[in-house]
Amino acid sequence: MAYFARRFAFFLATLWAAVTLNFLIPRLQPGDPAEAIVSRIGGKGQAVDPAQLEAVRTMLGAPGGNLFEQYVRYLGAVFSGDFGVSYSYFPYSVTHMIGEALPWTLVLVGVTQILSFVIGTLLGTWAAYRRNTRVDSVITLGSTFVGTLPFFWIALLLIYVFAITLRWFPERGGYGGGSSPGWNWLFISDAFQHSVLPGLALLITGPIGWIIGMRNNMVQSLGEDHARLAVARGLPERRIAITYGARIAILPNVTGFAIALGSILGGTVLVETVFNYPGMGRLLLESVSNKDFPLMQAIFLFTTIGVLIANFLADILYGFLDPRVRKAENS
Amino acid sequence: MTLLEVDQLSVTYTPRDQPAVRAVRDVSFTISDGEFVGLLGESGCGKSTLGNALLRLLSPPARIIGGRVLFDGADLATLHTRQLRELRWTNLSTVFQSSMNSLNPVIRIREQFADTFAAHRVTDNVDTRAAELMELVSLDRRVLRAFPHELSGGMKQRVALALALALRPKLVLLDEPTTGLDVVVQRSILDRLAELRQELGFAVLFISHDLGTVLQMADRVLVMYAGEIVENRPAAELRSDPRHPYTRGLLGSYADPRQPEVRITSIPGRTPDLSVSHPGCLFAPRCPYAEDACTQTHPALLPDHGGLVRCLVAQADRLPTTPPGPLTGATVDPAFVATGGAEVASISPGIADAAGTSSAGAAGARSPNAGSGSLSAADTDEATGAGETAAILVVHDVHKRYTTRKGLRTNTVTAISGVSLALHRGRVTALVGQSGSGKTTIARLITGIERPTTGEVRFNGGGDGDGDPTRVDRLRGRALRDYRRHVQMVFQDPFAALNPTRTVAYALSRPLVNYGGLRGGAARDRAAELLESVGLFPAGQFLDKLPHQLSGGQRQRVVTARALAPDPAVLIADEPISMLDVSIRAEILELLADLVRTRRLAMLYITHDLLSARLLADEVLVLNRGELVESGPTAEVIGAPRNDYTKLLLDSIPRL
Amino acid sequence: MSTPAPAVPTPSRNTQTAVEQGHRSGMRGRLLGRQPGWFAILWRNRKCRIGLLILAGFVLVALFAPVLAPYDPRSNDFPTSLGPTGDHWLGTTVQGEDVFSQLVVGARTSLIVGLAAGLLSTLVGLVIGLTAGYAGGWVDEILSFLINLGLVVPALPLMVTLAAYSPVRGLWLIIFVISVTGWAYGARIKRSQIITLRTRDYITAARFAGDGTARIIAREIVPNMTSLIVVGFMGAALAAIGGEAGLAFLGLGDPLTVSWGTMLNQASLGGAMITGQWAWLIAPGLTLALLITSFTLINFGIDALSNPHLREDG
Repeated sequence: MAYFARRFAFFLATLWAAVTLNFLIPRLQPGDPAEAIVSRIGGKGQAVDPAQLEAVRTMLGAPGGNLFEQYVRYLGAVFSGDFGVSYSYFPYSVTHMIGEALPWTLVLVGVTQILSFVIGTLLGTWAAYRRNTRVDSVITLGSTFVGTLPFFWIALLLIYVFAITLRWFPERGGYGGGSSPGWNWLFISDAFQHSVLPGLALLITGPIGWIIGMRNNMVQSLGEDHARLAVARGLPERRIAITYGARIAILPNVTGFAIALGSILGGTVLVETVFNYPGMGRLLLESVSNKDFPLMQAIFLFTTIGVLIANFLADILYGFLDPRVRKAENS
Repeated sequence: MTLLEVDQLSVTYTPRDQPAVRAVRDVSFTISDGEFVGLLGESGCGKSTLGNALLRLLSPPARIIGGRVLFDGADLATLHTRQLRELRWTNLSTVFQSSMNSLNPVIRIREQFADTFAAHRVTDNVDTRAAELMELVSLDRRVLRAFPHELSGGMKQRVALALALALRPKLVLLDEPTTGLDVVVQRSILDRLAELRQELGFAVLFISHDLGTVLQMADRVLVMYAGEIVENRPAAELRSDPRHPYTRGLLGSYADPRQPEVRITSIPGRTPDLSVSHPGCLFAPRCPYAEDACTQTHPALLPDHGGLVRCLVAQADRLPTTPPGPLTGATVDPAFVATGGAEVASISPGIADAAGTSSAGAAGARSPNAGSGSLSAADTDEATGAGETAAILVVHDVHKRYTTRKGLRTNTVTAISGVSLALHRGRVTALVGQSGSGKTTIARLITGIERPTTGEVRFNGGGDGDGDPTRVDRLRGRALRDYRRHVQMVFQDPFAALNPTRTVAYALSRPLVNYGGLRGGAARDRAAELLESVGLFPAGQFLDKLPHQLSGGQRQRVVTARALAPDPAVLIADEPISMLDVSIRAEILELLADLVRTRRLAMLYITHDLLSARLLADEVLVLNRGELVESGPTAEVIGAPRNDYTKLLLDSIPRL
Repeated sequence: MSTPAPAVPTPSRNTQTAVEQGHRSGMRGRLLGRQPGWFAILWRNRKCRIGLLILAGFVLVALFAPVLAPYDPRSNDFPTSLGPTGDHWLGTTVQGEDVFSQLVVGARTSLIVGLAAGLLSTLVGLVIGLTAGYAGGWVDEILSFLINLGLVVPALPLMVTLAAYSPVRGLWLIIFVISVTGWAYGARIKRSQIITLRTRDYITAARFAGDGTARIIAREIVPNMTSLIVVGFMGAALAAIGGEAGLAFLGLGDPLTVSWGTMLNQASLGGAMITGQWAWLIAPGLTLALLITSFTLINFGIDALSNPHLREDG
């Protein structure tokens, strides 16, 4: 159990660090952060509106007080889920805006990530199983090539081909004008149609890391003595590939999952922007262009926490998959 | 009846951007039902490649390029994969060298048995069968529920052996099955193996570099050199009448430390480069009997004196009849002495006759033997003198405990308890023990890398011996650095001890610059002198070489030269020969013995190998689980051990 | 961040184990010693050779961009939204700028960002990784925590947030932001590498030879990490080029610099898809992909350099 306790402690520590980072970023610039922010909102030469200043100070967590007091109050606000009021979507609260956008991203990223992992792992396993054959080269070189294509560019091309030229799928947005969000068939099928192209954009590059990782790890573990001994023992090829190859090769991929997720979310920002998809990524970018700093900060924090939770879950899963870890941490 | 027939088998490595290497060349031999065949050879001779080829486990760039492996009439080298899979394990099973990695780390031991049974449609109850097999190798059946990482190395190797016997195969191929395990564990596994072979009657191909074990266990021995079988002969005859010069050399490099007189020799030179073709005999450049024809005609493996030998001289019956010394007690083979020059070690410091062991003291035991070897005579004088001089380094009642903390729990491990020892100039003290006995910890305490929990380490050689002794256990920073110029180390693995990206000249110049204040040309000149003092002539040829361009023996000489650079008083040699090939160990031992004598060094020789301790040391300390269990003059400790553990260590050495 | 990060972890994990294998097998000395064979081995690898040639082409284009570009990339004197013509090989933008000239000048931006941010984050990663790995103890605990934190914080959102706060978005700010978010991976690899290196006997031997810590790190350890550092730099440069393109595409790049990312941003906003200006849309993406391909190909060679296993499998 020491392993799990340690991972949980790490989770809490990173959580604290992420919140602190979020507190520090606006304060990295010289001078009073609130005034600096308000002057940027208003543009140069305009008088600072006291009400605005107050709103920004609330977002920063402390009207007045020294840095430590600000920090304590900020922590209090974060843990009570109070991120203030969105500046660009007044009078909606930041929490409300995030609540609107979060499900879109969760579904899109969740589904594409799980699919990417499954597809990538299967293709990587296949390539390793047929290592040094044509299948292996096609999968390895093909995915290496696709991996070099810029993410958002693929998204643009998808729109160009499937939405504008072929008109198979809607070009942008999360759902059509005719439907309204809710548990009705019209909305769900509409939302699905809108999510096909963004999903595809994420799925084209998504599995690549898993393919390469799985393939290389598995080739390595199939070259190790225990796998060679399994061959000598006359075990069926398939049994060797799965139990003596894939079963071991998948472990580093599980730990890599959370790190990958961090960059996938980056990709999501790009994809959501290209498709004008109403998720967290687009909201982040909108908040940046609208200089809606409270919203922006909260989105960054939520995104980070999301990755941390995923990281923690992956660690837990790893603990169950690899008997060596639990033991090593215990002794 | 012939079980396995290997016929003209050849294996080549064809790396992409390097020349192809002919690792195994036209190998032919047979194994009969129930026969125990040893395959003896040094690292790089191709014995493991041959083993993998027999099992058809070679992976690119290695490939069988010719020959047949007939097992019960089927050619394993060309058989279709599906048919091969049926034959595997039921006919031919194996135990690999590295017990660490030969079990799947993520599944339990039981599953690995279940896999094996399922693959061959064994319908018996897995648990019953597996439990029986555990019993065969003297393991508790609870081991079945464990994961491999929960087992010790010895247990893992027992599991591997049980797995190999799971389907009652006709032939078991053992590739260095006990290398890396402690001698006592090795012994018990090998004993069990011999018993099981009696009970179950399987044949064995035993691949090893360990001459003593092979000679003791095998019915017949194949000797391999540079990818070829050079001799094939029943073990008893191989021992009494080796017919290939290489076999003679190998036998000369081994001795039983319990014999009244112990002597080993080395084979000069190094193994040939197999990526180029050699017209003549591959061993000719190192062979003391080589004739002109040997460099031009490649000998065939032909019947000779009841065995097979690949040597023109032997086949023409021009081989000198003198058998090698160590095993019969006669003098060293003159041919090796004559041609070996500086490479030859002829060390016999030990007991001259049985009488010396019990009654006489350290110095007295040696004297009768003066004259038989250059070392022994000089050693006697030194030993006598050393007894009177004060110790240069004293370890007094040292304890070392390690405390590890995990969360709230603390765990204390005692590595060393109550160890005292003294080192004298011109004398070698051997510290003998198995891995984990704490011998390396003692070296770390003496060199100041670690500090004892309690106890003292005192050094008396700081100034001119006039001041107070240095308390090594209290040194830090600058003072520690100053101390280390007097106490230097020779490491176990000469390759790991030299930075692969730095030249010999750089490695040697650092202590000269740091301790001697030498610069540029002066440091280089001194480095050259040091190289010559460790027997690397001409030094200019070695200065600008990188470690990988040197042979193992040359690397160990460079490591030794670096340790000598600051002109130390104490030399700690931590298993300096255990990573070297058997055939060159003697030359490094001789070098060390010579340095102790000429430079009046005090040496702590750390080893698990009683033979080298017997050859080199004046005094032996036996360490078990952090405690000294026996100490005394080498002759007494090895000749008449009093402690049970010392006896156990000695009993683990194969008797020939 | 246009290359998905998971592609990076595992190959490099192999690099690391390969380095150790190299040590044991004795290959490494020959491969990475001071002999000139270094570059020759890279060159002999076909994939790597192609990558080096492509990269050399990009470097030449970037160096001679002002000569090669037919027009000033910022000049909007031309007819707007043209398709490819003889005068404008790749057409013009919606503002009437020459797309081909922008493409040529954009190579400069990508390479500068790749080089500068690659170097900066490699340096930061090296210093932090070396310190953590060599010092051990609580220093390592703290730095390792920082490294792990740097690994899990999502990079692009962090870049976006940092960029949003800065009043001026010059190229150097972009480089800084990319380096701040991209050092952690290299630091982790270097830390674990130095941990295996520092317990080597030759490090102990250097200490016995009287060498100090700084000298040991500089002369004994770093030379044994060359390929790791080069691979790390290539990876960081690659991520930086992708990161710049992504930021610029989002409209958060340096507004005064022409880069492939800003080109795609304008192509997207300027309706290149609706007007059917496929050249404007495809060219920047392809050049970006080609540049990233060249880095990937070179990395194959470097991996092979330090991993005898890969050399053999091709």
